[in-house]
Amino acid sequence: MLKVSEDSSPLLRRPFSVYKNYPENHPEKKKRGCLFIYYKEVGKGTQKMTTLKKGQTLNLIGPLGKGFTLPPLPSSANIILIGGGVGIVSLYPIAEALKNRKMFVFIGGKTRDDILCLEDFKNFNSKISVATEDGSLGFRGTVVDLFLFQRKNFTKNRKYYIYSCGPIAMLKALAGSVKFKNFVCQASLETRMGCGFGACWGCVVKTNHPRTPYQRVCKEGPVFSFKDILWE
Amino acid sequence: MQSCDLTVKIGNLVLKNPVIVSSGTFGFGEEFKDFFDLNQLGAIIPKGISLEPMAGNPPPRIFETEGGLINSIGLQNPGFQEFIKNKLPYYRHLKTPLIINFFGNTQKEYIELARRFDDVRGISGLEMNISCPNIKKGGIVFGTDPRMAYRLAHAVRKATKLTLIVKLSPNVTDIALMAKSVEEGGANAISLVNTFRAMAINIHSKKPELGNIMGGLSGPAIKPIALRMVWEVHQAVKVPIIGMGGIMNAEDVIEFILAGASAIQMGTANLINPRAGIEAIQGIKKYLTQNKIDRIQKLIGAFG
Repeated sequence: MLKVSEDSSPLLRRPFSVYKNYPENHPEKKKRGCLFIYYKEVGKGTQKMTTLKKGQTLNLIGPLGKGFTLPPLPSSANIILIGGGVGIVSLYPIAEALKNRKMFVFIGGKTRDDILCLEDFKNFNSKISVATEDGSLGFRGTVVDLFLFQRKNFTKNRKYYIYSCGPIAMLKALAGSVKFKNFVCQASLETRMGCGFGACWGCVVKTNHPRTPYQRVCKEGPVFSFKDILWE
Repeated sequence: MQSCDLTVKIGNLVLKNPVIVSSGTFGFGEEFKDFFDLNQLGAIIPKGISLEPMAGNPPPRIFETEGGLINSIGLQNPGFQEFIKNKLPYYRHLKTPLIINFFGNTQKEYIELARRFDDVRGISGLEMNISCPNIKKGGIVFGTDPRMAYRLAHAVRKATKLTLIVKLSPNVTDIALMAKSVEEGGANAISLVNTFRAMAINIHSKKPELGNIMGGLSGPAIKPIALRMVWEVHQAVKVPIIGMGGIMNAEDVIEFILAGASAIQMGTANLINPRAGIEAIQGIKKYLTQNKIDRIQKLIGAFG
């Protein structure tokens, strides 16, 4: 959770996922540790971030919440990453953590300008497929359309771990197409957040939890198993 | 530096400082334990509790406006039994007074809850919520009708020996009248204000920004109105006042105390800066030292 300004405009912190995290003395980056946040300018908070100057200090609380669960090792299960728009950024750390495994990466966006991190994923042992809604790059359609188009490649007798992040409409469409036992699916959700550490119950999502249907995206999430979410 | 006396009295309760964290903005306390030592706070008020569990309102539940936050959480809570079993034990390790915020759908439910909490060890006081703007049945009908508020305060007063604070809604024509009614009913203290009824519309989708359409506005945007209401109530009643509404720092705390509050609550501030409460306490000490004031109680209502 990042406070993007010192004054009350905007008032609340903004939630971000970590794109790259280089500890001190990492070969890629000098002596100091580095934390990368890849964001899209969508509102007052992110607009303010774009006006930040080099060397400015920001207040950050993190890491918070529950992240993706990696597949058990060793395992022959296949890894599938599906990201829509800026959501693909949240999947990069998984690719880095599983870099020696074979991965299928699906990247989607409205236009070719919305296809992010393409070069990053080329560094891994991955098969990358791209979809744009206007057809300006790769498959014409949504990233879920593309995944469905290629699903015949994923056989029923293998296990697949699907990691996804993107707009709710995309995840909902995906949820409808992966109801098979051999697919283990997780999604990182994004909702409006008040605090980010479980105090306000503002960011909830409806789940099939027996006692507490509304679960906090910031605390019990942001990563949920597909089967736990009530996609309405 | 000479230490100054920050203690304040709310009914039978003596607080070591006037900073209380507000119900609904402090979770069940545990969420904050990594940020600071909770024992430093004047008192803690966890999320409001009802007799039965409540699922809360459909999302989206929050929307940020200029200097403010509109919420429609809908009093989501695990209910009395679950709270006692799974949430209360955490507070057994703390020395800071625990004040329970509670609410019901009917007068009977309010009385029943007050009775039940009266039997529980480790609770220092009760804050009766008659002011949540987000639930049709719960609270607000009692919070806008002075006679009903009087009757409810009177009936609940008889049901518990604990210090009884009544939390008022600002969504009334005459806040002083509401305050006098609950004072006559037997409230030991009055806390005000809860959030202001508010809404926002997305002009692109032409849909409400909140799942519940309406919510309650909090944050710095409401501070001047809340302050005025505290002052009005201060002139109308004798019982101590706990002021709140957009308090973000020590300066805001001092302002509310000068307007007549004996103690204050911080709410929205906790969400932005989880250490807002203890930073305010440090700021109050600094203010008192710089102004050579030995006791904070000397500041209560001391403006003009």
